[in-house]
Amino acid sequence: MEIRGISNPIDIAISGLRVESTRMNVIAENIANASTTRTPSGEPYRRQDLLLSTSDGGISGVRLEDVVADRATDFRTVHQPGHPDADANGFVQMPNVELPMEMMNLVSASRAYEANAAVMKQYKEMMEVAIELLR
Amino acid sequence: MVNKPQMSEYLEAALRGAALRQSVLANNIANMNTPGFRRGEAKFEKLLSEAMDGGKAPELADPAELIAESRNTPVDFQGNDVDLEMEVGEMIKNTALYKTYMRLLGGAYRKMELAMRDNI
Repeated sequence: MEIRGISNPIDIAISGLRVESTRMNVIAENIANASTTRTPSGEPYRRQDLLLSTSDGGISGVRLEDVVADRATDFRTVHQPGHPDADANGFVQMPNVELPMEMMNLVSASRAYEANAAVMKQYKEMMEVAIELLR
Repeated sequence: MVNKPQMSEYLEAALRGAALRQSVLANNIANMNTPGFRRGEAKFEKLLSEAMDGGKAPELADPAELIAESRNTPVDFQGNDVDLEMEVGEMIKNTALYKTYMRLLGGAYRKMELAMRDNI
């Protein structure tokens, strides 16, 4: 494994915290738009997901590459003849947002956020002992 | 005659090793949701004990030599093998280790100070 640079644990933990809080934003957006049938592209809302990568081969945390639309799953079809966006047979295309899945991701994001915060706390403890030497 | 390395030199090397490990563990935790990420591990104890046995100065030269990426740990559905419980455990252990080294180093410095004072 090639090592290009090693960051301070605080910076690494911050990269994790930022990614996890972005994940929370994206999940909130998905849940808020769970039944949005109109978007600028003309189709129903597509759930968004994070695209992550390890920061350029070094030991320097995680990097958010992009927020991408989930094109792997299909839209839900609901029979709702009164809906303005229903087709001739009364079917409406609904977003591909699955609430149970979003809730599960939300739990995992908040757990990861806490873990990164714990890393900062541990490092702070280490530094406090180092500072003791100056007393 | 070649000077035998001081205890404080070994402690300083061990502190550098423990600080490096803390970064590696923080990186594992930050990447716990990155697809395809394999956890890293920092090993410096073996190199250090070899240096101590040989009475040589501790050389923890290139961090790349100390960091190994795991290859045979089980991965989850996204090809990631970070196990949060294990990382947190390792991190608590490493913090305790770092604090121990740091306190020992503080003790070594205090001893030097004492020796200087008594000679006046």
